[in-house]
Amino acid sequence: MAATVTEPGLERVRRLETIWDEPHGVLGWLTTTDHKRIGLLYFFTTLVFFGAGGVEALLMRTQLSQANEKVLSPETYDQLMTMHGVTMIFLFVIPMTIGAFGNYLVPLMIGARDMAFPRMNALSYWLFLFSGVFIYVGLFMHAAPNAGWFNYVPLALKPYNPGRNIDFYALGLIFNSVSSTAAAINFIVTIFKLRAPGMSMNRMPLFIFAMLAVSLSLIFALPSLTTDLVFLELQRNAGFHFFDVAHGGSPLLWQHLFWLFGHPEVYIIILPAMGIATSIIPTFAKRKMVAFPLVALAELLVAFIGFGVWAHHMFATGLPTIQLVFFAAASMMVVIPSSIQIYAWTITVNLGRPDFRAPLMFIGGFIAFFVLGGLSGIMFAAIPFDQATTDTYFVVAHFHFIIFGAAVFPILGGMYYWFPKVTGRMYHEGVAKASFWLAFVGTALTFFPMHMLGLLGMTRRIYTYPNGMGWGAYNLSETIGAFILTAGLLMIFANLAYSRFRGPAAGPDPFGGGTLEWSTTSPPPHYNFPVIPVVRSAYPNWDREDREADRARLRRGELVFDEGHETPAATVVDAVPDEVLEMPSESPWPLVLSVCTAGLFVMLLVRHYVVAGVFALLALLVLAAWHWKEPEEE
Amino acid sequence: MNSFAYRAEPRLARPNGWWGIAVFVATEATLFGTLVGTYFFLRFDSAKWPPPGVPEPKLTLPIVLTGVLVATSIPVQLSVRAASRGRLGAARAALLLAAVVQAGYLAMQLHLFVHDSHEFPPSGSAYSSIYFTMLGAHDLHVLVGILLSLFILLRTASGLTEYRLTGLRATAFYWHFVNALAIAVVLTQLSPRL
Repeated sequence: MAATVTEPGLERVRRLETIWDEPHGVLGWLTTTDHKRIGLLYFFTTLVFFGAGGVEALLMRTQLSQANEKVLSPETYDQLMTMHGVTMIFLFVIPMTIGAFGNYLVPLMIGARDMAFPRMNALSYWLFLFSGVFIYVGLFMHAAPNAGWFNYVPLALKPYNPGRNIDFYALGLIFNSVSSTAAAINFIVTIFKLRAPGMSMNRMPLFIFAMLAVSLSLIFALPSLTTDLVFLELQRNAGFHFFDVAHGGSPLLWQHLFWLFGHPEVYIIILPAMGIATSIIPTFAKRKMVAFPLVALAELLVAFIGFGVWAHHMFATGLPTIQLVFFAAASMMVVIPSSIQIYAWTITVNLGRPDFRAPLMFIGGFIAFFVLGGLSGIMFAAIPFDQATTDTYFVVAHFHFIIFGAAVFPILGGMYYWFPKVTGRMYHEGVAKASFWLAFVGTALTFFPMHMLGLLGMTRRIYTYPNGMGWGAYNLSETIGAFILTAGLLMIFANLAYSRFRGPAAGPDPFGGGTLEWSTTSPPPHYNFPVIPVVRSAYPNWDREDREADRARLRRGELVFDEGHETPAATVVDAVPDEVLEMPSESPWPLVLSVCTAGLFVMLLVRHYVVAGVFALLALLVLAAWHWKEPEEE
Repeated sequence: MNSFAYRAEPRLARPNGWWGIAVFVATEATLFGTLVGTYFFLRFDSAKWPPPGVPEPKLTLPIVLTGVLVATSIPVQLSVRAASRGRLGAARAALLLAAVVQAGYLAMQLHLFVHDSHEFPPSGSAYSSIYFTMLGAHDLHVLVGILLSLFILLRTASGLTEYRLTGLRATAFYWHFVNALAIAVVLTQLSPRL
């Protein structure tokens, strides 16, 4: 863009550079409120957790590669299995999609200069980081959570689990929920209020619809988990009774509250993947998504229906038949919005002129795995089938095709797709395609035989199995698959790491994308856009005249907002320009508040309640200091 | 171009701060929804509720106390009205009045909490566990509200800005929510007698 900028325009761009500049070096990263930097912090942190979760998976697969293997003790296996689930869900997929992709892309896609609450955004990141470290400290103390990621009582209660393991789980996840709640509030307000002029609700990119659906789901799902975890801690450490029948409690209470969170959680994991798919497909098919409004509604509908299906995780617990039937019917309903999207994706590819580059290939893999995992999902809605296969590897096969095959493949495709935007350089296409095939074959080989093992009666969560069950060959092929998959993943990261330094320059828009992030330079400047774009369609970067008009506006000095650290806000539905917001800039308080919060949770863990109170008081003082300085005074 | 005239007066949409507190209240309301849900889940699983040996909840005092708390919504809202018309003194006086009454309510609540927990401790049964958890969660919200009000009083001592007015609005929103919550909590807890 810079090449076409005239002298007065250049002057304005320079002014923006100075206003939006942040401190350099480590201090800059510790105090940053730039959504792109926070997105990158999320990205690298979640990658580390992804690596940890992956190593845990490989260790388990090695242990299960043949009968009577002795690589891991039963206690270690339980901890690794639980940590694998907790890590992949709470410390990888959710913070990767919402924290990294969402943070980096949402303001860019809606034409804003930052999130609605930039400091709260930084707070979300630091809380997330410390909550992840908190949970992992348990593993290094050989006291990691060990009752599975859904942590059923009574196994998780004190008499059966006297160590700190479950306390790491409960407190760590409450800690993590605070971070996710703050992030979700931030996304909702950002999407409602900071869209570029003209980007009415019906012109929002489908990725933004997906992020909105996810954020709403989080807001209404997380409280249920928090309540459940607070009950668990009160019962474990304060003598309360919620889950034991002897005192009028009920173990099913844990399951109801957990799955009332846990099933929406599954859609929280998959919806951003759908959003990424709807970003990649139009770009490489070179046409708009077919049935755009239907796909947008389907994304919201998936989130909504997700709240009415939780008891299908509990078909084997002896609930009354009428409840089983209700939840089976509701679960079947999920097929409708899912099918709408599958048809819309495939028809868009068919009606366009698809260019099968690496990102689109990953979306192809995603659709294949989503259909596969979806079909086994429908089978579980049939109550008798579910009761026969519950707690077997058939279930493990199903949810890995969904939350690895379907949720992670778009993340991998998205890494390639937005890599040129984030770094300004191109990845190596040939290596990218090879890495796709490795990952695809590895995934299929790892998870498909689990269907057979499940039907042969292998139960989930066992640390070993005897000879002569006929399970050996399937298990061995899964282990081989897991290592092929790992090779594919390493190839992706090697490609990206190498290209980051040696890749050819990418330019602002290497793929001809339709959304606004492709209209600015790669990487985008701190202020995102030299001039706030005015939008007339859901694919504004394909409206050449409008982008030309933006450049003319920069020359005239309209919508540049170069007099302060500012971004415009608009009305919620129609995006009519409303006011100009003075945005906060870098601040040490989010990090300091997170340190105090971490102190609070550590003290709760070691049961020094007075010191915990001191940390809570400190946190309040930090909050007061944070809000003391007002934007008008800066 | 006139269509991009920013800083429209009056503002067309509600400020970001209002939306932020609205979404926060939505998630908080859900939290209390799960507490109320748990109360009835446990109750419908029990033969006798409250269980044998636990006294039935008293009616008069909790209803009167809740009435007093809910009434503080009036001075809180008056405070917002006065502030948005620039009458800062009246706004602060109304907010202070509300805070004093709310603090009195909280003190009385804590006294009852301690008294009740001697009579039927939370570790006695699932009934007393959910009873005290719900009560404690509610009292905590009242405390947070009082702290918010005090912070606004402190900040507005040096005058009113747009930022502080949004803060006052958010605090008022939160108080209306906490007061509505008080009604839900007290109705749930008195339900064995109703």
